[in-house]
Amino acid sequence: MSLKNFSELFVDLDSSNSTNNKIEVLKNYFLSNDPIENSWAIYLLTGKSNKRFISGRYLKNLFSQIYEYPEWLIDTCYLKVGDSAEVITLLLKNKSTSRKKKLSNISLNELLSKTIPDLSKLNEEEKNFKIKNIWETLPEDNHLIFNKILTGTFRVGVSIGLVTKSISKLTNIDEEIISHRLMGKFEPSIDSYEFLINKNINLQELNSKPFPFLLANTIEDKIFKHSINDFQFEWKYDGIRMQLIKRSGNVSLWTRGQELVNESFPELVEKMSHIKDDFVLDGELLLWNFKEQIAFDFSLLQKRINRKSPTRSIQKKYPIIFIAYDLLEINGRDIREIKLENRRIELEKYFSKWQIKTENKISDFFKICDLIFPKDWSDALTYKEKSRENNTEGLIIKKKTSVYSSGRKKGIWWKYKVDPMQLDAVLIYAKGGSGRRAGLYTDYSFALWKDQELIKFASAYSGLTNIEIKELDKWIRKNTIEKFGPVRSLKPEMVFEISFEKIQISKRHKSGIAVRFPRITKWRKDKKINDADSLENAYELMKKIS
Amino acid sequence: MKTQQEYLIRYKDGNLYCELADIWIDPSKPVKKALITHAHFDHFTFGCEEYISTKETAILLKERVGENIKIKTYEFEEQFKINGINISFHPSGHILGSSQIRFIFAEEKWLISGDFKLQKDETCKQYEIVKTDYLISECTFGLPIFKWDESKKIANDISKWITNSPEKTSLLFCYSLGKAQRLLNEISQTNFKGNIYSHGSIHRMNNIYKKLGINIKDSIKIENKKKIDELKGSLILLPPSLSKGPYLKNFKNIQTAFASGWMSIRALRKRSGYDKGFPISDHADWDGILEVVKKSEAKNVFFHHGDSEALSKFLVEKELINVLFFGK
Repeated sequence: MSLKNFSELFVDLDSSNSTNNKIEVLKNYFLSNDPIENSWAIYLLTGKSNKRFISGRYLKNLFSQIYEYPEWLIDTCYLKVGDSAEVITLLLKNKSTSRKKKLSNISLNELLSKTIPDLSKLNEEEKNFKIKNIWETLPEDNHLIFNKILTGTFRVGVSIGLVTKSISKLTNIDEEIISHRLMGKFEPSIDSYEFLINKNINLQELNSKPFPFLLANTIEDKIFKHSINDFQFEWKYDGIRMQLIKRSGNVSLWTRGQELVNESFPELVEKMSHIKDDFVLDGELLLWNFKEQIAFDFSLLQKRINRKSPTRSIQKKYPIIFIAYDLLEINGRDIREIKLENRRIELEKYFSKWQIKTENKISDFFKICDLIFPKDWSDALTYKEKSRENNTEGLIIKKKTSVYSSGRKKGIWWKYKVDPMQLDAVLIYAKGGSGRRAGLYTDYSFALWKDQELIKFASAYSGLTNIEIKELDKWIRKNTIEKFGPVRSLKPEMVFEISFEKIQISKRHKSGIAVRFPRITKWRKDKKINDADSLENAYELMKKIS
Repeated sequence: MKTQQEYLIRYKDGNLYCELADIWIDPSKPVKKALITHAHFDHFTFGCEEYISTKETAILLKERVGENIKIKTYEFEEQFKINGINISFHPSGHILGSSQIRFIFAEEKWLISGDFKLQKDETCKQYEIVKTDYLISECTFGLPIFKWDESKKIANDISKWITNSPEKTSLLFCYSLGKAQRLLNEISQTNFKGNIYSHGSIHRMNNIYKKLGINIKDSIKIENKKKIDELKGSLILLPPSLSKGPYLKNFKNIQTAFASGWMSIRALRKRSGYDKGFPISDHADWDGILEVVKKSEAKNVFFHHGDSEALSKFLVEKELINVLFFGK
């Protein structure tokens, strides 16, 4: 019934690598704690909130101030630990002598609904005093959770799927139902927990919530053995995956991250509300070039995502479209259980009805995705290769007989992405990683040749194996030219193959180009730095694509 | 201020060296005369003409290097002379036989801490405070994020870890000399009453400890063809070198843990690949190093074995202690 129990849960989950074990641990936690505590636990574990009450920097400064610790010393510790909340937790261990005797056992509910939110009502001095007081009265084992919640960095290796599974096991209710109940907003309360575990399933109550999304898996070779006619082919758009819901006349836009984004796209909400039927559509929101009928780049869409209540001129400058892939519910009838090919027929039927019956021209903001009909698998490959021409990422391949289940279910949907672009580049800077990679140099910058000079063109931190990371870390320490804070400039010697999805002109970068999703795909130990690519090679690549 | 060459002890080829006595301390390459602080592999090398150490260290060294090495031994506190320099061993609390080494020459005292800890450990002599003018100290855990819990608490955590999974075999990885024996004694004082097994390499060390009169709790030597069911709910101590390899295939339904000071950091714990980490160390934590520096009353301190930048700066700024650096 307390932060103490939750701290123990965190330790148990954190030190387990087995999914079954984690589910068991969670189930037991839910069994032995109050509904209100459980509800907060779910809220934290599913990442429904990672609100930052104070920054990691603030936390470190505060500690430095209270205990007269030099800031540089805390920063040095941070380089080893990689997490402000944990650094302070470890340093507080050293301060245990200054602790008050009476230790408080605060509930998760009190901490999260009162103690921490109340901090923002205090002035700085009061706030600091309060935090110090909590540090000194809280049992040592609870510091990490407290600091992590405070800095909005609470994360543990538990997915929403795992929480779903454990509640499903606890209640004997189907996972799909639990998953649906967990969609969208989750306000921690006794009611929200009781709703989650309620054995009476009433579909009406799920009215405001989107369905769990079905996700595509990376393509597997075995699919090529099947007849091409078993599958439906669509372009893989690079926008925001969404469910567009109209129920009882109300339109809501839900992202895959379970955010309600009506405010960011008011024109779409308004226009969709003119359609007479109720429905749930699965699709993609894109910035659309209506003249050429292709999507604009994702980077432009990003400019709109974060704007709440965009002005008319913004709406005009960045015109959006919703492209529907699938129809999941129509006039209150859940049709996820019928075959994809039949859902497609329904989708096309309703879409043409809406085109005729709706006053506004709906094609200005809404269309259904075009299907592609490759003759055979090699033809599919040709389509895939062409996908860059229309600004898509490749193909989505869906089994025609599949029902719409949830999650990344195997053997239903596949993504067939266009091969990445690649350049060989030279490692020139390294920076210390954070979190799991703390204490190692894991953030790298790469350069291409321009005449005799190496010009930085991309940074990447993923793609190497743990063994390679350790090996490279050793090399970096031995081959540092200069240190600038956490960054080291390195002897140009190591060549890596860098893959990325997009390449475009950028004025912000010295190289004049920007790439999207750069990652390391090979450590080219066989190559010398003179074998690395030049900026000219990069420009050529860009020309070839556009 | 002395120059590098005038120090009684200095770095030469990456090792501590006393020119006046022509003697090396824990050298990493074969030399004529080597003083050995303790018998961990990173503190001695094969092929020296003569070794000098405490009695316990000598026996451990012979086990590791070979029976026929030439080795001279001294008691703790016993003074001996080499080229007019007075030298003596003092307990460092790290493992059985581990020592600090003090040099006195022309009324100037030098102390090499060796690896040390201040925490209680029934399997070796408690660290002894030795006063000195110059201190050469290790600083493996020279940051304030390192603060050790009492070993009793860690042992209880280990006991809970095993008993919470009675259907599993618990593999605890730890250094075979020192850490394993300490853990064995600590764990046998907890609520865990199941079987404890030791790997052959650990078992050998246990026997030497026993021969030297240290009361090490009994454990069963693990045989390769043990029946899996027998191992359910028991604890097996293994050296870390076996953690990544085919050896683990000898067991079924296991959980693994590593006992090391580094395990106090979550990122390192996660990266280590073990299910669990128990932060217990035979080195001093931050407070321990500071205490030794202060109580030794050294005016000048050198650090080696570890990243000493922060610790040095802290001592200079906060404690006004002179920290010197060896040229490599």
